[in-house]
Amino acid sequence: MNETSARAGGSPPAGDGLARADRFSQVVLPYLADALSLARWLTGNAADAEDVVQEACIKAHAGIAGYAGGNARAWLLTIVRNTAYSWMARNRPRAVMAVGDLADLDEVTAVHGGVVDMGEGPEAGLIARANAAALEAAIAALPQPFRETLVLRDINGLSYREISDMLTVPIGTVMSRLARARGLLMSELGERHA
Amino acid sequence: MHDDGLPRDAEGMRLMLNALVDGELDAAAALAVERRIAADPALAAEHGRLVALRGAFARLPAQMPSDDFLARIAAIGRAEAAGAVPVASDEVRPTQPLAQPQAGARRPASAARGGAWRLTARRFGGQDWRALAASMVVGAVLASGATQWLMVAGAPDSLAVAVADGHRRSLLAASPIDIVSTDRHTVKPWLDARVGLSPPAPDLAQDGFTLIGGRVEVVANRAVPALVYRHREHLITVVAVPQDKGGVVAPADLSAEGFSMVKWSDGAFGYFAISDMERPELDDFVGRFRAAAR
Repeated sequence: MNETSARAGGSPPAGDGLARADRFSQVVLPYLADALSLARWLTGNAADAEDVVQEACIKAHAGIAGYAGGNARAWLLTIVRNTAYSWMARNRPRAVMAVGDLADLDEVTAVHGGVVDMGEGPEAGLIARANAAALEAAIAALPQPFRETLVLRDINGLSYREISDMLTVPIGTVMSRLARARGLLMSELGERHA
Repeated sequence: MHDDGLPRDAEGMRLMLNALVDGELDAAAALAVERRIAADPALAAEHGRLVALRGAFARLPAQMPSDDFLARIAAIGRAEAAGAVPVASDEVRPTQPLAQPQAGARRPASAARGGAWRLTARRFGGQDWRALAASMVVGAVLASGATQWLMVAGAPDSLAVAVADGHRRSLLAASPIDIVSTDRHTVKPWLDARVGLSPPAPDLAQDGFTLIGGRVEVVANRAVPALVYRHREHLITVVAVPQDKGGVVAPADLSAEGFSMVKWSDGAFGYFAISDMERPELDDFVGRFRAAAR
């Protein structure tokens, strides 16, 4: 309980709290659905996602003064992502270890996965008819860095530049991960319905 | 096909196709890629697959926060404003199971106190009224915030303010829509029966904007139809206010922090589109809506 009382003792005057609450409701609340989706795809399930987002929102609230304008969604999602990884390191140390070295993964898949000759891909119609469950299963099966990049773009709607800033990787890496992730999804969805 | 500045290798072109679909290319590059697509069936097929995949994403069910969760998060902002301390996640949802006291065993005082605290925290679910009350206050602050930015952003536009407040309310409500249907032939008669008006409700699912339903908004003491579209995780509310004076007005920007808003008119209706999407995406939606409704 020490932490609690320390925080209570250090709480700012009520006026500041009100301004913060106002800002919190404008910067954080509109993007809760985005935050939940990202957390869900990073942690793998909806219940853990709520825990992660709640923790992230407490951090966002505490650090709201650090929000310097710009894209509030990207700002919140950055906090959610960092919280998700520290949450997973705390709650499932082994799962995080299993992700392995990201640089290796980019190399490996450049040779083996995701690169199909464009002429031989599945019919667009098969992909268009894929149901939501099939798509979600295919997303869940993606390697973590690909899934993360794909979700930030195709579900959260961030731009390449924003993703590059968030993941601190070059735009070229964002683009190749995205293209590979989609390549894997397209062949998976095409096969499943063939 | 002379040097058009595009990559020569298949992998490079694949990235360019993705960038085209993502709207990340400027007009010149997009034009060059489109020319290549027109000339190369393999590229065209890959492009078709990417567009199809985007359509599949648009149909994924949105993960909307539950009321309970929304109330908990809103309470974080409220708690401090009231001088209290936000409830930490571990206290609300203990990750450790409660220590099971042995029958008749003596427990150290600290453990007993910790247990009691956790028990109280655990009963948070039973105290929803508090979180709910908190979220209502936040809702009010939020709505007044919306009002404020619209006043600051331009000439006071009471319609726009009412529309923005309606959209924000709908995000906090249990459901943002009263009639759930992706079929415009269901939504239009429903609205017609309630408000005697039925604005165009184009089907934009192919473009990634799925009509998910409609509701009735009260704007300036008048019941008006509202359509709700979904794009990925984002809801777009389109409110159509019937006009007497007519005249076509090009889209005008009313956006401010947190929300994008565009208004335009087609002579019969004045439209307001509001969403938490980025402005360019909302513009894209408005462009498609106007083209399809014509």
